[in-house]
Amino acid sequence: MLRVLLAKDLRRAWRNPLPLLINLLIPLVITALVGLAFGGKSDGGALGRIRFALVDEDRTILSEFLRGAANQREGGKYLDPVIMERAAALREINDNKVSAVLIIPTNFTRSYLTGKSGISLELIKNPAQSVHPAVMEELLGALVTALNAISRNLQSEFPDWQLVVEGGRDYKEISRLIERAGDKLKRAEKFINPPLVQYEKESPDNQAQDRTATNSVAAKSNATETDAKKGNPASEIFGYLLLGMAGMFLLFLASNAMTDLHRELRQRTLARYHTLHQQLAPFVAGKVVFTVVVLLLCSAILLLGGGMIFGVRWRQPMALGLMGFGYACFAAGLMAVLVALIPDERKAGALNTVIGMGLGLAGGCMFPPQALPAFLREHITPLLPSYWFVDTARNLQYSGGEVGWIIPLIKLLALSLVLLALAALLFRRLFRAGART
Amino acid sequence: MSLLRVQGLFKAFGPVRAVDSVSFEVRPGEIYGLLGPNGAGKTTSISMISGLLKPDAGEVFVAGHPFWSDPQKAKRIMGVVPQELAIYEELTGRENLEFWGRMAGLSSTAAKSRAAELLEALTLTDRAQDAVKNYSGGMKRRINLGCALLHKPQLLLLDEPTVGIDPQARLNILEFIRNLRASGTAILYTTHYLEEAETLCQRIGIIDHGRLLAEGTLKEMQDRLGGDRLFVLEADLKDSSPEAWDGFLQRFKVIQKTERQLIVAAVGDRDPSACLKDLLGLPVRIENVTLKRPSLNDVFLQLTGRELRE
Repeated sequence: MLRVLLAKDLRRAWRNPLPLLINLLIPLVITALVGLAFGGKSDGGALGRIRFALVDEDRTILSEFLRGAANQREGGKYLDPVIMERAAALREINDNKVSAVLIIPTNFTRSYLTGKSGISLELIKNPAQSVHPAVMEELLGALVTALNAISRNLQSEFPDWQLVVEGGRDYKEISRLIERAGDKLKRAEKFINPPLVQYEKESPDNQAQDRTATNSVAAKSNATETDAKKGNPASEIFGYLLLGMAGMFLLFLASNAMTDLHRELRQRTLARYHTLHQQLAPFVAGKVVFTVVVLLLCSAILLLGGGMIFGVRWRQPMALGLMGFGYACFAAGLMAVLVALIPDERKAGALNTVIGMGLGLAGGCMFPPQALPAFLREHITPLLPSYWFVDTARNLQYSGGEVGWIIPLIKLLALSLVLLALAALLFRRLFRAGART
Repeated sequence: MSLLRVQGLFKAFGPVRAVDSVSFEVRPGEIYGLLGPNGAGKTTSISMISGLLKPDAGEVFVAGHPFWSDPQKAKRIMGVVPQELAIYEELTGRENLEFWGRMAGLSSTAAKSRAAELLEALTLTDRAQDAVKNYSGGMKRRINLGCALLHKPQLLLLDEPTVGIDPQARLNILEFIRNLRASGTAILYTTHYLEEAETLCQRIGIIDHGRLLAEGTLKEMQDRLGGDRLFVLEADLKDSSPEAWDGFLQRFKVIQKTERQLIVAAVGDRDPSACLKDLLGLPVRIENVTLKRPSLNDVFLQLTGRELRE
């Protein structure tokens, strides 16, 4: 019976696939747009390499050192400096070819080493871009902090260094200066190592040992490290977005599939079924099974297809698949309850969209939960099934260690059962006086 | 024994009495027509008989057993053709029939075989593989009818099965229904088409505002009007009143009077020529007199004072 009902619904969906396709395409398109806006897939990391113009008007050893440091080692993975004159650099930024222009002004080194106040590095950000210029600003802030720290600690050495910079010392003198600086740093070691205040990134091992709460941002930081280690640095932004999109759009797809029951009511096929000797429950159950099957197919298309398109390699596909199944059951149960509560198709459509968006947004599907208002983040979000799914799925993808996905899965399945039982009760009440609406 | 017996059926929606104390029965091999205008209570009656609506009062007996004591058992011998096209437009005609066959309890093989039979009987075999959405209105109606017949129901409830289709398609469906009746199926047929009730049904119930006003065979209905002929007078009747004409109401029963027309039936078994002579002697300037056989419309007119418009 269920098989016949399911076959009928799948055939109908296959022959009229437009509503489902739209709900499948939207998350893929949004993922592509948002992912590309953040740099998309590239070899330099999730954000891609930041191309910026470096204008060295100082032309000293220190400024050359800064120029050279910009694209060495780790810097080279993320930064793509182009050395040019100020006028050319400004043309480049006008043509949107660079994200920012960093200008080392004339006499920068002299002013720095003589301890003059008010010296500055100049940063011109490209107003046509949002992320890369902001990253450049942050990096420059870090550089300025470092330069200030050096200035405060090695101020007494600066006059001698100034002579070096101006070519007034031989190599023997330079080596002595380096040795002196080294000695100073060594003496300072006991004050700076170990530091009084320490910042430590969570390691996968730490996470496995001490997983009290899930934290998407921490997970993402980890992911970047893990990705880098595994030589797959690029695709996490797409994966992160895809999982969030799946969390939200699976609800819309569930609404679409489950409101087929509304269509059956409107087209009187449910009434016709009710004139037969069959009980009503298998028909509703058939629709729930249909919804779950559709959601599983759509999850596969979204995550596997999207994964292939955007180059995401899912790390724990079995666990992710089971979480997807649990979430599909929840979505089908929720929509069944809504259909039973609101037999009017148009009203239900509007409400389902609002509920889907609400669950998606508050559950952290579209934004990291850390970006949500504090009250929502602390008191509401952890209670939402969309959060259970998305957060666990993201952890499965981005945490290198063991992720506790079984408890969220059990929670999703248990809630699904409650919702389905409630839907059955409501449908029974709805049809107690007859199936005519 | 009747296959369907309806007794004192009552349903109200708020202050509106949609069906008010309706009683009738349908016997095997009989087509019982429930004739009435839109909103008369036909569909509500069928909905209560088929279990889609629970009556506020009254009882439905199917094959002698109260419907609500065991609805599933009653439904097994029942086939319902709703007025709306309750079929899946995305599926083919064959798929629709097979699906409803499976839902009616047939095995896959039996549903396939029965679907093929019905496609043949409904002359749809050549379009069996096309999606129903590409069918004409008449073809959709035929599939809609066929979907109720997979399990060979002994009692068939047809709710205006020919509404909105062309005359040729209607004739095809009516012929198909006659064949069903010939095979012994009891059929309850609701319609607002007079000629369908007149030509198809063995017995007819006239329903209006939820009440069954009259029932019987066509002959019995005609007899209610006083015989098998009516006289239609055309004249200027604006200022005339039949009550004022000497002895007129003792000799004729007034069916309808308008400013231009008077329809009457002779009282008793009188000779038509004598009746005609009587009418021509009336104190009005008569322009035309015609004789016609009474129709169900005349019965409806006499019962309600309104015409049953198609």
